[in-house]
Amino acid sequence: MATIDLAKLSVREANELIRKAGAAGEDVDVLNPDAKHHIGVGLVHDVNVHVRGSAGYFCAGLTDTARFEVDNNVGWGLADNMLGGTAIVHGNAGAIAGVANRGADIIVHGNVGSRAGQVMKAGNLICVGNASFMAGYIMYGGRIIILGESGEQVGQDMTGGDIIVGGRINSMGKDAALTDLDQADKDEILELLERYKISFNGTLQRIANDGKQLRYSRNEPRVRNIPFFEATGEAGYWNEKVLEDIHIKSQIGRYRIRGYGTTRPLPHFGDIAFRKDLSNIETDPKVLEKINLKTKIGDRMGGKPLELSMPVMIAPMSYGALSKSAKLALATASRLSGISENTGEGGMMDEQRAEADLLIYQCLSGRLGWSIHDMQRADALEIYISQGAKPGLGGQLMANKVTEQIAKIRGIPAGIDLRSPSRHPDVLGADDLVIKIEEFREATGYRIPVSVKLGAGRVRDDIKIACKDGFDYVSLDGLQGSTGAAGNEVLEFVGIPTLAAITEAVDALVEIGHPGELPIVLMGGIKTGVDAAKALALGASAVAVGTSALIAGGCISCLQCHVGKCVVGIATQDPEHEKRYNISAEAQNIHHYLESLRWQLAAITEGLGYDDVHKISRDDLVALTPEAAQITGLPYVPEYRERDRDLLSEAS
Amino acid sequence: MCGIAGVMYKGDGVEADVGKALIAMLDGCQHRGPDSTGFALYHDAEPGELRLRFFVGEKEQAETTIAEIQDKLAEFQAELVKEERIGSTYAIIIRFTGDIQKLAYAMEHAAKLVSIGESLDIIKDLGGAFDVDDVYHVRDFTGSHGIGHVRLATESDVAPEASHPFWATGFADVSIVHNGQITNYYKLRRRLEKRGFEFNTANDSELVAVYLADKLSQGIPLKEALGTSIDDLDGTFSFLVSTKDEIGYAKDRLAAKPMVKFENDDLIAIASEEVSLNRLFPGHALNTSEPSPGTFDTWQRST
Repeated sequence: MATIDLAKLSVREANELIRKAGAAGEDVDVLNPDAKHHIGVGLVHDVNVHVRGSAGYFCAGLTDTARFEVDNNVGWGLADNMLGGTAIVHGNAGAIAGVANRGADIIVHGNVGSRAGQVMKAGNLICVGNASFMAGYIMYGGRIIILGESGEQVGQDMTGGDIIVGGRINSMGKDAALTDLDQADKDEILELLERYKISFNGTLQRIANDGKQLRYSRNEPRVRNIPFFEATGEAGYWNEKVLEDIHIKSQIGRYRIRGYGTTRPLPHFGDIAFRKDLSNIETDPKVLEKINLKTKIGDRMGGKPLELSMPVMIAPMSYGALSKSAKLALATASRLSGISENTGEGGMMDEQRAEADLLIYQCLSGRLGWSIHDMQRADALEIYISQGAKPGLGGQLMANKVTEQIAKIRGIPAGIDLRSPSRHPDVLGADDLVIKIEEFREATGYRIPVSVKLGAGRVRDDIKIACKDGFDYVSLDGLQGSTGAAGNEVLEFVGIPTLAAITEAVDALVEIGHPGELPIVLMGGIKTGVDAAKALALGASAVAVGTSALIAGGCISCLQCHVGKCVVGIATQDPEHEKRYNISAEAQNIHHYLESLRWQLAAITEGLGYDDVHKISRDDLVALTPEAAQITGLPYVPEYRERDRDLLSEAS
Repeated sequence: MCGIAGVMYKGDGVEADVGKALIAMLDGCQHRGPDSTGFALYHDAEPGELRLRFFVGEKEQAETTIAEIQDKLAEFQAELVKEERIGSTYAIIIRFTGDIQKLAYAMEHAAKLVSIGESLDIIKDLGGAFDVDDVYHVRDFTGSHGIGHVRLATESDVAPEASHPFWATGFADVSIVHNGQITNYYKLRRRLEKRGFEFNTANDSELVAVYLADKLSQGIPLKEALGTSIDDLDGTFSFLVSTKDEIGYAKDRLAAKPMVKFENDDLIAIASEEVSLNRLFPGHALNTSEPSPGTFDTWQRST
C-alpha cells in the first residue's frame, strides 16, 4: 500500500506515484485531497485508490480497470471517459458525473450535478440521491440508474442506453420516453445495486430513446450533376441551380447537406504574391539538400515536439467520414514524407497507428472513439473546438456511413444520422478548458503536445484564449476548409477566409504581448507549395493539407462525401465501393503530391535568398487585390497583377 | 471567464479575517483566471462618510488625475477626510450628504472610479491573489463579509479597470463578481441607458450589478431582484452580489457555470470550486452542496 499526502505533494507528482504504484500492482491511499483536481487521472492498472476526503474535477478521469473510492464529494467530470473499473463516491458529485463512461461502474451515494452521464456509451452510472438537470444528455449507450428524483429534462437527446429512475420524474427531455421494464431487466438492476450494497424497495421506471430524431425525416433526392449553385450553374440571379436548390428544399423542408468546403471564390493565397519575381530563377537541382525545411512544433509547454521533415501536416479527417483504406493511404503517405497524420473524430485504428510515424489524436465533443490507451500511444493530442467548414457546429455522419464497424469504434448505435454535439461537455468556457488541458497532460505524463483545433470565426479572441490556456500550438482552419458533411449554407457562408484567419491570429498574439509564441498550423484550402510558403510568410509555423491530399489520392471532387457511396472508395463505408481503392498506389500518389510541396517550399526559399524556410516573412509579400491588401495589411501593388496573372483567384 | 468566491461570517459585530479567507479561496481557483484578481470588501460604515477608490495610473498622470478629483470634490462640497495612494489607485474617505448617483457620475467623468460606498471598497489589479495582496495588503482586512474574483480576459482587455469585482456604477455599496457571459447584454444595457444609467465599461458583469442595484433602489429586496435576474438575463452565469448587509447568488437555468457552497455555525462560503472552500479547512472533508440550476438565495449579516 502506497500512501500519498496531497498536503505535501502536487497533484502532478502524486499522479506519477499513483501510476507507478499501479504498475507495481500496489493499492494507493490519498490523504488530504482537499478537493484538488485530476486525482488518479491516467491510471490503467487494476488497483484500489482510496481518496480520504473530497476530490475535485476529473477524479478517476481517463482511466481503465482501477477501482476508486472517494470518502466525500467530487467536482465536475467524475470518472471522465473511464473504460472499465469502478469509481465509488460517498458524497455528492458535481456536474457531468460519469461523462463519456465507456464501461465502468460509477456509483455516487449522494446527489449528482447537471448532465450526469453526458455522451456516455457503456457501463453503469448509479446515483443513489437526486440527479439535477438533463441527466443522460446525448447518451449513446450504457445505463444510468437514479434512485432519487430524475431532475428536469431527463434523457434529453439520448440516442441509446437506458435511464432507470426510482424516484419522481421531474420532466422528460426531448426524444426520450418511458418504456417498459421487464422482470429480467429489473432483476439485473437489483442485482447490480446489491453488488454495491445499495438497498432499494421502490418502483423502477425506464426511460429510453423515443426514436423520433435519430434520422432526418425526409431524404434529399439525389441529383446526378453537382447539385450546388455556387459551384456551377449559369450566371444570373435565379439561375437553374438556384431553382433546383429551392425545389429540393420545398420537398425536404430543411437545409441540404453535402461534402467539401465553400465553392465561392474568396480572397485567397492567389491574391498575394512574392515581391521578388521567382519565375525566371534557376532552381538548384540539389535545393532539397541546401534548404532547411525541418519543423518542430509542440514544445511550448515542455513536451516532446512533433518533428516534421517539412512544415506540412495531414489535416484531421475521420475514419468514418473516410474509409479505412483512405485513412491508411494517408497514414502511409505521411510516413513516407516524414510528416504527421491526424485521426480526426472517431478514434484511432491499430493499423493507422502502425502506419503513421507521427499520429495526432483528436478529441471531439461526443468523445467518439476516445480512449486513454490511444491517448498514451499518440504523438500529440488535439482538442477540437470547431472547424473552418462549419465553425460552431458538431460533426455529421449520415446513417449510410454509420455501419456496425464504425458504430463499434465510436461507441454509438449503428444506423443513426450522427450529429455530434457542438459543445464539449466539460468545456463551457476558457476557464473550464484550462482544467481540461491539464487533465490531458496528467493522463499522458506531460510528455506530448496538446493542441486546439479552431475553425475561423472569432479568431482574435480565440487565439488569445488558446495562448493563455497554455496550448502547445493551434490548428487554425479557414472558411475554405472542407468536411465530410455539413449544411450547404454553413459551408458557403459561415466563418472567415483562411487569409483573414492567419492575419487575425498573428495580430492577436501581438496584442497580448506574446508575438509568435503560439505556433499556428494553418489549413483551409492550401493547394500548393506556393500557398504553403505564403502561409508561412504570413506567420504560420506549418500548414496542413486535407482536401488536396485526398484529391492526390484519387478523390474526384463530386461534393457527395456525405452520401456514403463514394465511387472511388474514399468517403464510404460500403465494402463494395471501398474495394475500388488501391491503398498502396494511392499512398504513393499522396506521397508524390506531398513531395511536390516540399520541392516548391525549398525552391521558393532558395529563390528568395534564404537557407531556411522559416526565414520567409511578410516582408517578402505583396497584395495583388485591394481585398487581399485590406485583409492582410500587405502593401497593395497592382503592378504585380500583370506578372502573376495566372495566380489570381477568381475573386478578383 | 473566471473563478468567484465569497464569504460571510456569522455573529454580531464579527471582525473575522475576511481578507485572508478571500486570498486563500481565490488562490485556490487561480487556474480559472490568471490575468487579474479583485476583492470587494465591506468596512464598518461611519455615518455621513463615503469611501471612493480610483485608478489614477502612475507619476505625473496620477498627479493630474488626483488634482481633477479634488477639484470635483470641492465642486460637490465634499470634505476630504482621509486619502491614500497605493498601487495604481487613489483611495479616499469623504464627508458628503448629497445625491450619491450625481456625485458618482461626475467623479466617473473626472477619473476612473473603481467603487463608491459607505462600506464598500473594491481592490483589484493585474496578477494573482498574492500579487494583489502584496501591493494592497488585503490580508489585513477584517470584517463580516466580502467577495472576490480571478479573471481570465477573453473578449475585453487585460486592464485593472476591466477586472472584477464590479461596482454597480452610480449605486453605493453594491458589488458583483460574475462567471459567465450575458448574451442579451446590449439589449438590457440600452434599456437601462434609456432610463439615464451610465456604464463605465463594456463588461457584462457591470450590467448585472447595475441591473440589481436599480431594483434595490426601487425598494425591491435583493432576493426578489435575484429571482427576476434569472428571467431577465440570458446566457450562462453564476454570480455573487454583495451589499453592506447581504450576500446573494444566482445561477442560470443551464447550470453551465459551477458554484459550490458550504455553511457551518461560523460562516457561509461560496466559490466556483470546492477546492477554494477547502482552502479554509485544509485536511477536512466538507459537507458542501451545489446550488440547483436556475436558483438564487441571499444571506443577511448578523447585526
